[in-house]
Amino acid sequence: MTETVIVVALLLVAVAATAAVAVRDPVRQSLVLAVLGVVLAVLFTVLQAPDVGLSQLAVGSALTPLLLLLTVRKAKRRGRRAERGRSAGGDGP
Amino acid sequence: MNGWILAAVLVLVTGVGATLWGVAGGPLRRRATAQNLCTALACPVLLLLAQGYGRPAYVDLALVLAVLGPVGTLVFARLLADELADDPPHARGPTWTAAALGAAVVGAVAVATGPGRALVKLLVIGVLLVGGNLIASRALAGGMQEGRGD
Amino acid sequence: MRLWLVAVGGAGLAALLVAACLRLPGFGGDRHPYGDRAVEAALSRHTANTVSSVTFDQRAFDTLGEMSILFAAVLGSVVLLRQTRDEHRARPEPAAVSRPVRRYALLVLPVALLTGLYVIAHGQVSPGGGFQGGVVAATALHLLYLGADYRALERLRPLAPYEAADALAASSYLVTGLAALLAGSAFLANTLLPYGTFNTLASAGTVPLLNAAIGMEVACAVVVLLAGFLDQAVEIVDEGEHDEHAEHDGGGKTGGNAADGGDHDDSGKRGK
Repeated sequence: MTETVIVVALLLVAVAATAAVAVRDPVRQSLVLAVLGVVLAVLFTVLQAPDVGLSQLAVGSALTPLLLLLTVRKAKRRGRRAERGRSAGGDGP
Repeated sequence: MNGWILAAVLVLVTGVGATLWGVAGGPLRRRATAQNLCTALACPVLLLLAQGYGRPAYVDLALVLAVLGPVGTLVFARLLADELADDPPHARGPTWTAAALGAAVVGAVAVATGPGRALVKLLVIGVLLVGGNLIASRALAGGMQEGRGD
Repeated sequence: MRLWLVAVGGAGLAALLVAACLRLPGFGGDRHPYGDRAVEAALSRHTANTVSSVTFDQRAFDTLGEMSILFAAVLGSVVLLRQTRDEHRARPEPAAVSRPVRRYALLVLPVALLTGLYVIAHGQVSPGGGFQGGVVAATALHLLYLGADYRALERLRPLAPYEAADALAASSYLVTGLAALLAGSAFLANTLLPYGTFNTLASAGTVPLLNAAIGMEVACAVVVLLAGFLDQAVEIVDEGEHDEHAEHDGGGKTGGNAADGGDHDDSGKRGK
């Protein structure tokens, strides 16, 4: 029974991590990453490592998405300006 | 070997598995909704696991997730407001189902815990979980900005 | 050639990993030579949470290193994300957040702050500790940005005290370690305080002290880090970013380094 939980959690982590790699757009990737963080926390709990799970929840649920989305916002704004500035550039972030 | 862990596995496979499928593809609104539902469903899973392993200290994980999960969704609702405004997500059914599940799990664990300080903590988690996720899903649906919501 | 090098290195790594995995003890076995000793040491110092005992007592020196890494990383990002000469600050326009979200944010902010402090304070008794609680507390402050706007956060979060508190917390960790040295034992040894009653808040000797230092350090570090990111994303704009005439800033000024990417123009301009 306890093994079943571990196997289920491991499978979910494997699927979530693969999805996080497969998605290309950083905004969508950050959404997958948030889900991956939660599933990882469940895996750590199931493996009786609640301290690690708590760290994962604290960092992964709000802090990482905030940092990622703020970075994307800044990069997009700069990219838009660079596009406006030059017609022949093509080096968006 | 007990019903609590079995229930946790069930919620994990059907609920969290479904949100994983939802977040992995499709338009932005579907992914954002799935992210919100994922935290709303993982919190009851953590509560069930804490009860199943007989370790009340594990409840702290559910507490942190109940506090920070909706905050994470608000981050997405705030910083993706422009993208979501064109195509706002509406997932009334799944949201209320997840809220009802959360309330039911908190109730069941509360009955098993009995009165005491642990019960107060559980009720706080329940209120934060259900209230937070309802607010967060409303914010995703366009209720973040004044005048744009319903 | 390069591909071959990668292939050889990868094959060697894979072979070593497989060899190591074959010698691992079975999953979920009952032989834990390190774990048994760690639990015994934790119990002898009245620490209920063995993980806390390992991080803040048995391996407190490693935690000092980890704390220094975080400190250096935040210092580096503060330097990188500072306002450069060709950037200026624009006042962020106030955001109109709807009433339920604002109410929720203002209600949950104290609860989240309290949760963070609770996790820090109970580090020696239950799962959690300085790092986890510090991150939760720092995230709680940013509910002000989510529930109101950036100006509200700035008004309630003067940055200088947080930078000072970050350094203060980092040095207080060192001072606790040195105090043990002065008292006649090893650096960071858990010998200063009585071990107290098992499974209460006042237990485990210096573990709660170090926990509090790490909690304060992490909370302040995260606040400073997020302030850098928020400044860049919300307030700091490049020269001419709001100009309607695109040719204006694409002309003579950035023309020199337009070839190597205009979006990294600050590196080129600093030399002037």
